[in-house]
Amino acid sequence: MPNTENTIMMDVLRYRPEQDAKPVLQTYRVPFSEDMSVLQGLQYIKDFLDGTLSFRWSCRMAICGSCGMMIDGKPALACKTFLRDFVPGRVRVEALAHFPIERDLVIVMDDFIGKLESIKPYIIEKQPRPLTQGEYLQTPSERDLYEQFSSCINCMLCYAACPQYGLNPKFLGPGIIALLHRYNLDSRDCGEEQRMPLVNSEDGVFNCTAVGYCSEVCPKLVDPANAVNVNKANSAKDYFLRFVTPRGGGK
Amino acid sequence: MTVPVSSGRRPYTRSMQGWWRRNTFYIEYMIHEGTAVFVAAYALVLLVGLVRLSQGQAAWDAWLQALRSPLSIVFHVITLVAISYHTWTWFHIMPRTLPPILIKGKRMSAAAITRSGLAASAILSIILFVLVWGLWT
Amino acid sequence: MEIYEADVAIIGAGGAGLRAAIAVAETDPALRIALISKVYPMRSHTVAAEGGSAAVTRPDDKLDYHFNDTVDGGDWLCEQDVVEYFVAQCPEEMVQLEHWGCPWSRKPDGHVNVRAFGGMKVERTWFAADKTGFHMLHTLFQTSIKYPSIRRFDEHFCVDLVTADGRVQGVAVIEIRTGQFTLIKSKAVIIATGGAGRVFRENTNGGIVTGDGMALAYRHGVALRDMEFMQYHPTCMPGTGLLFTEACRGEGGFLLNKDGYRYLQDYGLGPAEDKPRNKYMELGPRDRLSQAFWYEQKKGRTLDGPHGTYIQLDMRHLGEARLRERLPQIYEMAEIFMGIDPAKQPIPVRPAVHYTMGGILVDGHCATPLPGLYAVGECSSVGIHGANRLGSNSLAELCVFGKVAGGEAARFAKSVPAGETKVLLKQASATQQRTEQLVNRSDGSERIATLRTEMAQSMEDGCGIYRLADSMQATCDKLGELRQRFKNVNIEDKSSVWNSNWLSAIELGYQLEVAQAMVHSAISRKESRGAHQRLDGFEARDDANYLKHSLAYYNGDAAPRIAYGPVKITKSQPGVRAYGAAGEKAEHDRKAAGH
Repeated sequence: MPNTENTIMMDVLRYRPEQDAKPVLQTYRVPFSEDMSVLQGLQYIKDFLDGTLSFRWSCRMAICGSCGMMIDGKPALACKTFLRDFVPGRVRVEALAHFPIERDLVIVMDDFIGKLESIKPYIIEKQPRPLTQGEYLQTPSERDLYEQFSSCINCMLCYAACPQYGLNPKFLGPGIIALLHRYNLDSRDCGEEQRMPLVNSEDGVFNCTAVGYCSEVCPKLVDPANAVNVNKANSAKDYFLRFVTPRGGGK
Repeated sequence: MTVPVSSGRRPYTRSMQGWWRRNTFYIEYMIHEGTAVFVAAYALVLLVGLVRLSQGQAAWDAWLQALRSPLSIVFHVITLVAISYHTWTWFHIMPRTLPPILIKGKRMSAAAITRSGLAASAILSIILFVLVWGLWT
Repeated sequence: MEIYEADVAIIGAGGAGLRAAIAVAETDPALRIALISKVYPMRSHTVAAEGGSAAVTRPDDKLDYHFNDTVDGGDWLCEQDVVEYFVAQCPEEMVQLEHWGCPWSRKPDGHVNVRAFGGMKVERTWFAADKTGFHMLHTLFQTSIKYPSIRRFDEHFCVDLVTADGRVQGVAVIEIRTGQFTLIKSKAVIIATGGAGRVFRENTNGGIVTGDGMALAYRHGVALRDMEFMQYHPTCMPGTGLLFTEACRGEGGFLLNKDGYRYLQDYGLGPAEDKPRNKYMELGPRDRLSQAFWYEQKKGRTLDGPHGTYIQLDMRHLGEARLRERLPQIYEMAEIFMGIDPAKQPIPVRPAVHYTMGGILVDGHCATPLPGLYAVGECSSVGIHGANRLGSNSLAELCVFGKVAGGEAARFAKSVPAGETKVLLKQASATQQRTEQLVNRSDGSERIATLRTEMAQSMEDGCGIYRLADSMQATCDKLGELRQRFKNVNIEDKSSVWNSNWLSAIELGYQLEVAQAMVHSAISRKESRGAHQRLDGFEARDDANYLKHSLAYYNGDAAPRIAYGPVKITKSQPGVRAYGAAGEKAEHDRKAAGH
């Protein structure tokens, strides 16, 4: 049980669309112990102080990606951020930036999901391989090429970090471009050309101005900034090679 | 995003006004992006110098004289500081823009890439400085 | 209320649900699939699984070995014909996942690598670093996007099944962000809602693992089978219960008591050797390891910490390089959550509830006794885990039986006509009224958190690693009391938009019923087998009386009715579960006897 002599003030941005005109800060005094996370603080509030506080969470171990929030103004996972790092001060918790707030700490993530679905995030095989033929051979170094980009937990902290996305929500964005890049780099996939129009588009990689905050906040070290910027070169190559090689071919 | 009127939903979009002031990371970003102006300004100075060179000895000497004015010295000192900072931050971002570089099968770390870039930059600057100084004297 | 017409509705979009959806789509692209999940699919708890997925791969491995390991591991409570089918399908399903892009860890020659795992005779666990569940889930989710016939209902909470003409014909769901109800008419329904570990205090599970689908099937008369068998995973973080994968031990980690002694050798799992040896010591089965911890605790040989007693998972001898390569996620977890560098210090660990072996009664085709209703994954009891599950059989189960459930549901859906909307709508409306009543009332007096905490503590006390009749009875009584008090539960939040207070209350209702099925099944089983161990006169396994499955039937407000059903034995007669050197001898004897 948390030691009640030690408490911390949590300032949480509330928003109940049916009763609030706009979001409003509400303060809670939460008992804390050395190993308590911000998520555990929020759970305490919901369990014992205010059952109306809504937030997404599940695994508690930074792998499901549910609990992304702005903690003291920085995008972070609540389960992996600890109250001890704010004490003796206060901690401010708000919904993830650059997304519309649905309710309290819950954001509308339709845009992210729509983009995820749009990039053909699956293996596009060179030719169908029967299961009886066994696995594709893929050396550890071939796997290493794309592994970091496959580690994205879809927490959207990078979108909250990216000011270009905040200014232009049509931008495909760091996390989704990282996923696109993951498939392009997978030796089993040949869909790079099919995904290129999204990379090249008005809302593609050239919206990025190399702020780099996305990679800074990524809890899984995916380095989406790298995925986006490497694809600027890919996009340019694609554009200029167009004049040299024939296009189309029914792909 | 269309929201049916019949539900109680009313998603709230927060303003991006003053976004860059909200976070030291963004403030620093704006500063180092701002130094690009100084890079452009210095390029302009060099361009003018080139033009003056093509206009003959008198024009060239007049330009060199202008460069020695106190205002010009101040401008050049500020520009040097700005461009140095620009270089420093540019090489810190560079690893983000490159595909993996393999040396003997191991990936070159971001820190190593930055260090190499800064080192190359420093060495080239020294060489150039010595060259120009040599030509000058 | 909105009405949506589907051919197959799937509740739950974790590994099993997604695999089933893909199977339906591949069986017949014309079938309309409604894939319903109370969270976005990539949040499903499959994501947290770490160690790996089993499949016979090496040339020195055989399906028979995997079969025997599984049936032995299950303490002979497995449906052996189903296990035979299962082990034969695993290799193909793992290759299928690989073709779909799963980033399995590889050998230098490019073939998939396999690692050792608890209770497995030969290395056969396919793995993707130490985030296998994460990679499998994301592979399945991203692959599912290829199929236009899969219509997802993300963040839709299922509150009831609707039935007519003696079969299931749809589900009633709440769209979480509006609070509005939808009737999803469907000719077949697959429940893939996962386990129920959250009914216990210390567990590895995410907040969403609340036995929803189990309760739904249960309330509609389908038995919950073998609910007394809850797996305690031996190596979890004290306090939070977060999982340190079995792969830590597969890679060579040791378990040490407070004297720095590898105590498992005192419990029939020895002798201790420097290198990991399959089915020896730390690679014994999970129930045995958790039970050894319990005894060490009793002997006072465990260490004391702020979150209870613990032992040490020592991986220092593996070295930082190997740890970071093979176990990167747990390395990070130890560093960030505990401030421990596993290359320099051992990690404090203790057992916590991890997996629900039992579940919704289904046959080998994932069909429940209720026509049109299927169940797959952790929420089901298809018969492969018996009284104790082997690690890496569960992820494989999602794929093998996900495919089966999808295929069966598709076939069934094509064979029956659509139901009459009017009839189904009436049921759905009644459900809506009942569910809204929960939130609209103003006279609630019980806090959700209070009821939940009392339930979780009681389950830990009564259904722990070792069980006693009087503490199980106390839990039976407590749960009865909590179910009564639940009728007065107070929901502070009266709004419609994303009312998680309301949904938590509904989940608590599910949990109380499932917990009741667990403890009543436990107290009725007067023997010790697998993960159900007693110290009250029933310490031995009793095949004469209890080589049977328990079946818990919903009984309204009263306690569940417990019945028993036969176990299908084919090739493997119940024997002694032996590991370590004793295990090798037992196997040798068995071979000599001609089995």
